Amino acid sequence: MQEVLVPTLNDGQHDFLRLFQIWEAVSRAPQGTRFDFSQCWFLRPNAVAFLGGLARLAQQHNYPVAFAWETVREPVMANLCQNGFASSFGHPSSGWNGNSIPYREDRVSATDPILDYLTDLWLGRGWMQVSPLLKDAIVGKVWEIYTNSFEHSGSSVGVYSCGQYFQNMNQLVLCVVDFGVGIPNKIRSFLQSDPRAAYLRSSSCLEWACQSGNTTSQQPGVARGLGLDLIKEFVRVNQGSLEIYSNDAYVIVDESGERFQDMNSSFSGTAVLIKLNCDETLYHFKGEFPN
Amino acid sequence: MRLVIRETIGARCIVAEDGQKLHDAVVALLRDKEDVFLDFSGVRQFASPFFNFSIGQLLNDVSEDDLRSFLHLEGLNETGRIVVERVIANASRYQNNEDYRKIVDDILEQQARGEE
Repeated sequence: MQEVLVPTLNDGQHDFLRLFQIWEAVSRAPQGTRFDFSQCWFLRPNAVAFLGGLARLAQQHNYPVAFAWETVREPVMANLCQNGFASSFGHPSSGWNGNSIPYREDRVSATDPILDYLTDLWLGRGWMQVSPLLKDAIVGKVWEIYTNSFEHSGSSVGVYSCGQYFQNMNQLVLCVVDFGVGIPNKIRSFLQSDPRAAYLRSSSCLEWACQSGNTTSQQPGVARGLGLDLIKEFVRVNQGSLEIYSNDAYVIVDESGERFQDMNSSFSGTAVLIKLNCDETLYHFKGEFPN
Repeated sequence: MRLVIRETIGARCIVAEDGQKLHDAVVALLRDKEDVFLDFSGVRQFASPFFNFSIGQLLNDVSEDDLRSFLHLEGLNETGRIVVERVIANASRYQNNEDYRKIVDDILEQQARGEE
């Protein structure tokens, strides 16, 4: 069994690239992987969701996975117990509330449980004094991330999510990860009848996917392709941010616009990171979408 | 005809399957230019898949003018109104996504712009 060192993982691009390296190492190790946390001082929710999904992916291929709990530092362990990650992987602990939002595994699209999770456990814990109307609006938009993953990713192990409220920044974070085909690869495959499609840049494919009305859905007669655009607009207006890592493409959407980028590293799947500012005075409906 | 959505679908109008159900219940009436009243009172959460299938898809059978004349959306909160308007705008400019060559052209053009 190989040993993989999990470092301190924040939610910057460098941290995601490190996660992709770990994904590659685990994917190439049929003998199994033991995750060592001795060099890890903290894990952001994106790392928790990613590592959980990766462990399930390995298990699905019958690659053994072990978490070296004895190497996990106390604050990290407290977080992993709090959000339920530790108990999901065999540690004898049960989750509790704190500032973390539970780690979640969804093999299939379970609409009501996911909406309840977003409504009650992510938004409904009192750290954001928003009206019920606004809360429901946010939940509907974040659901678009889940429905995209379930419908388009083809992830054989489902969708993984984890969140956290960061008191010092008054910021609410949620990360949703799948290990499917990835958006750029899906688009190239959708367009494969045109040989030029193979040479489309990943960032350009992602940019196309983020535009209103664009979709790879092949259901005739039903216009689609609004989900990403709706959530993108929402975070932009409300001074939050949305980041998408898919294959080797990356986009960040925030109040200053959207920036697409091709990266040097890649993984098979999509990770979506959404950050909302918990200052309710920032939120508004009117003029939410420019005409 | 009047449908109380909270009773037929529930407090969440989110998924495509529910949207399809609603579409199938009203499409023939709208095609015959009969008034249809959809009461969304008490419905709290909305997402685009529901409206793509329920309302956007109606534009395959009725014109946008007829849709706005004969389909009456009542009790729809602001969130729902925003989503449904986006869905109608998207559906009215929709063409089947089959011109792959054009899509590749569009992406390449966008790519070239990024290199300028």
